[in-house]
Amino acid sequence: MNPSIFIILLTTLILGTMMVITSSHWLLAWIGFEMNMMAFIPIMMKNPSPRATEASTKYLLTQATASALLMMAVIINLMYSGQWTITKLFNPTASTLMTVALAIKLGLAPFHFWVPEVTQGIPLTTGLILLTWQKLAPLSILYQISPSINLYLMLTMSLLSILVGGWGGLNQTQLRKIMAYSSIAHMGWMTTILPYNPTLTLLNLLIYITMTFTMFMLFIQNSTTTTLSLSQTWNKTPIITTLTMLTLLSMGGLPPLSGFMPKWMIIQELTKNDILIMPTFMAITALLNLYFYMRLTYSTALTLFPSTNNMKMKWQFSPTKRAPLLPTAIVISTMLLPLTPMLSILL
Amino acid sequence: VPLVYINIIIAFTVSLIGLLIYRSHLISSLLCLEGIILSLFIIATLIILNTHSTLASIMPIVLLVFTAFKAALGLSLLVIVSNIYGTDYVQNLNLLQC
Repeated sequence: MNPSIFIILLTTLILGTMMVITSSHWLLAWIGFEMNMMAFIPIMMKNPSPRATEASTKYLLTQATASALLMMAVIINLMYSGQWTITKLFNPTASTLMTVALAIKLGLAPFHFWVPEVTQGIPLTTGLILLTWQKLAPLSILYQISPSINLYLMLTMSLLSILVGGWGGLNQTQLRKIMAYSSIAHMGWMTTILPYNPTLTLLNLLIYITMTFTMFMLFIQNSTTTTLSLSQTWNKTPIITTLTMLTLLSMGGLPPLSGFMPKWMIIQELTKNDILIMPTFMAITALLNLYFYMRLTYSTALTLFPSTNNMKMKWQFSPTKRAPLLPTAIVISTMLLPLTPMLSILL
Repeated sequence: VPLVYINIIIAFTVSLIGLLIYRSHLISSLLCLEGIILSLFIIATLIILNTHSTLASIMPIVLLVFTAFKAALGLSLLVIVSNIYGTDYVQNLNLLQC
């Protein structure tokens, strides 16, 4: 793609999200969402192919529906309160509509069906932007309207997301679909704590973005998109196998890695509100996620995957793909647990 | 509370259901998206005119501008899909399933 057009698209993407995050008028937030979606679709079609076209069409349809529902919620809010400020919503119908619209944008169950397919059809770098940057804008609006969200709707969607993210990823060998289901499950964890303590949503988002960024950078380094090609990394870049294992275990939420921090703080905050069954259920369902991360770890770092004999003796070329910020991201996504007291208050 | 808008809210709901339930053509869902935006435009204009909030009068026009943008994107994607498959049937979009 023409580099200047690509720069314009990236700038519009960043500008759109910034407009959503920093605006106090509902129209400007809606415009930010539209700019975000418009700029992202040509980025998805960077390398045109039938899969990219299909992913772009599905992305456009779902996000356009969500934007229209968001606008309807804004107008109903205008009808009942007469003002356009982004505060809590003043009508339960408007609140339900807006929560549903933002859930469609985030990929929460039962509106998650587009996430694996769209993530699968686009290149790895674009998939990284989809799963990390595109979550910032809807979560910022959810953070700002969190006092008025219907509790049962939010908890139902988030519990369903954790379940779907766990079970959906079990049958996958394509790495992008695995990352998509992991994104659905992490969104479920994030929105569980939203009605109670939105600060922890932001903490979970920060840790999730770091871990997903690390995983995608590890994949981009070797351009792997399937479990099969990931299992050959011991031959190409042996250090990647160790780092993949550490980051995957961190995503599964194992102490003493930093992926444990959001889960621990969320469960602690939920028990402070005298809810005991739900965090138990969530923690047990997170084991499903851990299972398919462990399967990736097993085939990558712990065993030699079956391969032909000439795959075992490769020329060691110098690497051609750069994975920017990979060492920083790995350190942050595995060693941040001792900083928990600072991070859970700072945000 | 204002029951005079029930007509347009019904129009919105019918278009939304039309967007979610489509039989074979992709273009019918794009049309229903336009229908949703049209009903949003009408109801926004009515509320803004009835409450005499003059400064907000720009909002329906801005809505239409961004919707035109979105529709152009949707149509161009439809053209690419139709170039690949020959029709715009949504059953053709099945390359990315598990």
